[in-house]
Amino acid sequence: MGFDQEALSSLTQYTLPQILFKQAERLGQEKIAIREKMYGIWLAYSWQDYLRYTKHAALGFLALGLKRGENIGIITDNHPEWLFSELGAQAIGAVTVNLFTSSIAKELTTMLNRIQAAYVVAQDQEQVDKLLEMKEQLSHVRKVIYVDPTGMRTYTNNPWLMSFKELLDLGADLDAKQPNLFEEELWNGKPDEVALMIMTSGTTGIPKLAMISHQSFTEIARKWVETAPIGIGDNWISITPTAWIVDQMWGMGVSPLTGMAMNFPETPETATEDFREIGPAVIITSSRFWEDLASKIRVKIADAGWIKRKLFELGERIGGAVVDRESKKEPVPTYLQVLHKIFARIVYRPLLDRVGCSQIRAAITGGHPISPDVIRFFRAKGLNLKHAYGLTEGGGVFQVQPDKEVKPETVGKPLPRTEIKIAEDQEVLVKTPSCFVGYYQDPEATKKALRDGWLHTGDAGYIDDDGHLLIIGRKEEIMRTKGGEAFSPDFIETRLKFSPYIKEAVVFGEGRDYITGFINIDFGNVGSWAEDRMIPYTTYTDLSQQPPVEELILGEIRQVNTQLPKPMRLRKIILLYKLLDADDEELTRTGKVRRKFVYEQYIKLIEAMYSDQNELEVTGKVRYRDGHVGTITTKVKILTVE
Amino acid sequence: MKAFRGQPSVFASAQPVDRRAELEVKKIFLNFGGVMALHDVDLTVRTGEFVSIIGPNGAGKTSLLNCITGYYHPQKGQILFNGEDVTGLHPHEITKKGIGRTYQNIELFPGMTVLSNMLLARHLYCDYGIGKAALFSSSVRKKEVYQRQVLEELIDFLEMQPIRKKPVGSLPYGMRKRVELGRALALEPKLLVLDEPFAGMTLEEKEDMVRFLLEFNSAWGQTIILVEHDMSVVMSISQRIMVLNFGEKIAEGNPDVIQNHPEVIKAYLGEATKF
Repeated sequence: MGFDQEALSSLTQYTLPQILFKQAERLGQEKIAIREKMYGIWLAYSWQDYLRYTKHAALGFLALGLKRGENIGIITDNHPEWLFSELGAQAIGAVTVNLFTSSIAKELTTMLNRIQAAYVVAQDQEQVDKLLEMKEQLSHVRKVIYVDPTGMRTYTNNPWLMSFKELLDLGADLDAKQPNLFEEELWNGKPDEVALMIMTSGTTGIPKLAMISHQSFTEIARKWVETAPIGIGDNWISITPTAWIVDQMWGMGVSPLTGMAMNFPETPETATEDFREIGPAVIITSSRFWEDLASKIRVKIADAGWIKRKLFELGERIGGAVVDRESKKEPVPTYLQVLHKIFARIVYRPLLDRVGCSQIRAAITGGHPISPDVIRFFRAKGLNLKHAYGLTEGGGVFQVQPDKEVKPETVGKPLPRTEIKIAEDQEVLVKTPSCFVGYYQDPEATKKALRDGWLHTGDAGYIDDDGHLLIIGRKEEIMRTKGGEAFSPDFIETRLKFSPYIKEAVVFGEGRDYITGFINIDFGNVGSWAEDRMIPYTTYTDLSQQPPVEELILGEIRQVNTQLPKPMRLRKIILLYKLLDADDEELTRTGKVRRKFVYEQYIKLIEAMYSDQNELEVTGKVRYRDGHVGTITTKVKILTVE
Repeated sequence: MKAFRGQPSVFASAQPVDRRAELEVKKIFLNFGGVMALHDVDLTVRTGEFVSIIGPNGAGKTSLLNCITGYYHPQKGQILFNGEDVTGLHPHEITKKGIGRTYQNIELFPGMTVLSNMLLARHLYCDYGIGKAALFSSSVRKKEVYQRQVLEELIDFLEMQPIRKKPVGSLPYGMRKRVELGRALALEPKLLVLDEPFAGMTLEEKEDMVRFLLEFNSAWGQTIILVEHDMSVVMSISQRIMVLNFGEKIAEGNPDVIQNHPEVIKAYLGEATKF
């Protein structure tokens, strides 16, 4: 820690790979840049190793024939190869785009076609198979480089494919022949050039590609260093998809700039365990991560013994009382402070340690509005959880709650060199040097988003008396009922989703008499609730239509209704017979609901909620990973919340 | 890095002599009282082969495996492994000769973790005495680290990272089968004998298992004998198949031959069945 402002601002004149080069010179062999869990232990790479692999990847691409200004696609999970190939390609002036490994072949192809990717780095056999399936449409892809060689034995004759190891060897050979080549290429880069492109989540229509320059990321990294207590040797754990802005911002920007170590879990399934072993210093995740964690803790506590349960309840009350007073800026009485300290020792710390959060200095949630209850839940345990706000187009997160003034419902204040204002139609506008360059091949959309240097976020909000920004929801998603009452579906949904039994909720009511909603029950939690009560069930569909489950969810909804203003209360609901899924295009790949699509898809059910019907026969479609479509026929009950 | 994944080092460093697995079962007879379990059965397996044994229930498949691995001793006949007579040996002696196996009904220690279960198989390669082990001397420590390394490479290959520290009793059935395979491989066997590794598995688990077995056989050169009921699996992965019926060998050959063999179709698959 202890950051030299001068050193920092001197770094911002470089491109991202150039910064890596500088840091490798400065931090060398001693400091750890990357850790990866493999074979049950954490393997470490120093800054010099980091540079060496990146250099070999860069020269490997060069040897293959990648040219300055060309685009490459990267479809990898969270592994060091992601960093090496991304920074490597950028070092020789290529532009990178990360894609989701969970995407189906068609989605990948559409995106790769759009950027006319010259090369693709693919994680494993699964990704390679998807690309091979679409090979005819991918004539612009000159080679596919696969990372994990497992199961690729029978593919070795295919000249279209190449292993990552071969790429590194190719680079090492070229390096031996022309030792100055890498540096020549590296120093040709300019910080205002486009370094990478990131898919915007695309809640409406197909995703756009936001072009981010080296400068945007160095600037956003600098903002972070100036505000958050982070530095050399601190840990970041890479668990969000690499196609998402958060890990991009950290892996490409903050980590190289600050000397923070990137840590990669062994497999996605072991992430929770690995998370605990690393104990990261800062974490930025989607609100869902915290919502899931809170409900998991609650369910586990409900199963715990009497003493633990009582201690937890007492701890909740004490912590809650302290947090409430702090957020209202009231003094906390001494006896409460003492109790809070005691409970920190016996309840909060051990609990946070169990979930790997004991080393966290700043836990940040973003992406989607989070229920204030979740923030209160964790803050009451002493976890510095706060809300942040950012956009891919803004270069990442630029708005965070300051440590001393955390208010559960707001998204805090702007980071340094960021300006915020509210337009007449309540849209939030941002001006920041970390702003994106524009949308790829879409000048019209760029013009719409960037006007006079102000980025139009598309979110509606207002600034409260303390200067905190408050987001109500997407501008186009603020709805009005028939009676003209404004409501935000997001606002209601996030409150519903805090129930451990509700996984997803979609609320309707635009131009209607009252508000209705679809509920996806949480299969795990409702399932164990049903098991405890000896209620037999088979599938998700079956469980969701059980009368006791209906009663359970109705109870949860009544409770949420009491927290909502009258016109925003839910009148009728349907427990949906299937989980909303990204493969059915009902969710985006980051897990946001695509409301319009859901509305059109389930219009019959929605109409039924505005009629006198109590029951409806439906046939629904389910798309499996392999593209094959199945149907479900079931009866759905329309439940009235009194 | 994942890019450097490859064959586990124990397999990569194995010399041809370590892999040599020439099995010859010569005219064995096995009776339980008046019940004839095996009658004049011959079987030859060469190094690097993938041989399957099929047959209806009670045909004597497991009995044959038990003879090879020393659980049963045939009354007549001879079993040679790499030219050595192993007919009368006990299971632990046969394991030392290089034959590892899995069981039809999983035989793991349910209270122990996956890692401990697999570590047990490494006792073959622990040559230090109880005194040194108790003191945990540096040479012991070095060897223990090596054993763990071997296991971790297997765990990585079998994709068992999420369960390595879980007690076996808490795992689903398909996973336990995988753990058992892992334990058998931890023996570094020259010949791997699998007794119905696919029974009770879901389709996805079966696909994983097929993937692993094919990789062992073709990339690592592991010699395998497989006893299995699932015909589609046997037909698609075996190089050679032997068919038993009522303790007697009725056919032997590659999958094509077996599928069209009249005796097999009649005795095992019913009159008009085709694969």
